[in-house]
Amino acid sequence: MIPGSHKRRFTLLDAVLIAAMIAAVILLARRIRDDLVYQWQWSVIPQYLVRRQASTGRLVAGVLVQGLLMTLRLAFWSAVGALLIGVGVGILRITKSRSARAIGRVYVELMRNTPPLVLVFIFFFFIGNQVTTALGIDSWVRNAPEGTRQTITLLFSPPARFAEFLSATMTLAVYEGAYMAEIIRAGIQSVEKGQTEAAYAVGLTRSDQYRFVILPQAVRTISPALAGQFISTIKDSAIVAVISVQELTFRGLELMSATFRTFEIWITVTVLYFILTGGLSAAARIVERRMRVRGH
Amino acid sequence: MSRRIPVEPDHIISVRGITKNYPGGIQAIREITMDVHRREVVCVIGPSGSGKSTFLRCLNGLEQIDAGTIIVDGIPLDGNRRHRDEIRREVGMVFQSFNLFPHMTVRRNICLAQKRVRGKSDEEAFAVTHALLRRVGIEEKTDAFPSQLSGGQQQRVAIARALAMNPKVMLFDEATSALDPEMIGEVLAVMRDLALEGMTMVVVTHEMGFAREVADRIVFMDEGVIVEEGEADEFFDAPREERTKAFLSKIL
Repeated sequence: MIPGSHKRRFTLLDAVLIAAMIAAVILLARRIRDDLVYQWQWSVIPQYLVRRQASTGRLVAGVLVQGLLMTLRLAFWSAVGALLIGVGVGILRITKSRSARAIGRVYVELMRNTPPLVLVFIFFFFIGNQVTTALGIDSWVRNAPEGTRQTITLLFSPPARFAEFLSATMTLAVYEGAYMAEIIRAGIQSVEKGQTEAAYAVGLTRSDQYRFVILPQAVRTISPALAGQFISTIKDSAIVAVISVQELTFRGLELMSATFRTFEIWITVTVLYFILTGGLSAAARIVERRMRVRGH
Repeated sequence: MSRRIPVEPDHIISVRGITKNYPGGIQAIREITMDVHRREVVCVIGPSGSGKSTFLRCLNGLEQIDAGTIIVDGIPLDGNRRHRDEIRREVGMVFQSFNLFPHMTVRRNICLAQKRVRGKSDEEAFAVTHALLRRVGIEEKTDAFPSQLSGGQQQRVAIARALAMNPKVMLFDEATSALDPEMIGEVLAVMRDLALEGMTMVVVTHEMGFAREVADRIVFMDEGVIVEEGEADEFFDAPREERTKAFLSKIL
């Protein structure tokens, strides 16, 4: 299609489609009510988003919003880990050394061809239970002074559940790291060969060539893909609900078994995820456009 | 400091029988032997595909040779990484496509290696940078990005960037071939000044006028070998080899 030839006009077809969709939703809701004898009760939901603390009268985050914040923390630290792994493995994948390339390749293929759920279990039982205890991380966090514990709660997770949080973060980081590595490899390879040659010719060390010349240019090219991967990380983080990390999906599961408000809760959870990821996508698009306007 | 190999003290670059194969067994250059004297300007000319750029790129290790030896300022350009690092710090290179770092200002382009490789402070690096930009005639572009400059300006920045390392030799790989005709002159003028100041230069070029005027010696390459070399006027006025005559008759 010629760009710009597409006029934004509201046609009869649009009207029919929208009417059909509204009808389908109404029909579905009625069937749920009549056939499943389901009593819609949206009024229970707001208290799980924001509630007034009885003792102080202050507004605090409800269970679902707490879950959303946990999802955000989890996704953030996983993405940081995935980025570090991605840069390392991405560089491994294009080095001259055959064995280094093979290691990178094996890692990427292993992660991309394994169900993340299986990885979650591996990490939880091997690392979460064994390694954190063996290293004493668990007891260190539990016995840390109150101030440290509060910081840990704010940045990561409540100390009592730190082992789960760590396993979950590592699982997601290792899993998403494989995709990050591929993005970063593509980004590095998109930088013109002449750039590396010029950096070589002025005498920069190999690591400085990457740090000052190659990676900054690669990042510009791949930032949309990186943002997309971060959004994927948020979505993929739902699977760690199986190891009781109290993120959004886990909170949804808990609430459902306590209240049986299945539809209301899952619709709310969906909307919360969508607000988070949709908001980030929009933000990423704006940043990307800004960067393109600036031009260098 | 690396072990220095005794060569003729006057030879900054000493090349002995170097061969470079491309994958698939094509020989890019064969058995090339030549020396570059200090303060000498050598222009390498020849038809495209003759191996002259490959030869130049071997001199700072951008291309690895399959046979022969290269010694730069007494340091062998061999498998030893320390040797290679030392050599590429002392050899400046200017590319056909400029290869400025597009995400950095002109100033940062020129300062980066001074600071990271030579360990200079900001003030020292800035001072050198401004002096060099004045010398190549674009001091007003210090804070511009490469994309805001013309090709000729970009190439002059690239020359300044190489000079900032205070190199002992400068290599020019068809430095004016990617430029619009009206900008070739300004870049050649900078190169000419550099030659007059006594910089040792190896210049791969298609600019025969420049070669004749500036070069102490012309090296003519074809099909990966040096066919003929000689003092500039003699080379152009009285070429000895048939292939040289054929080449010169086509381009002059």
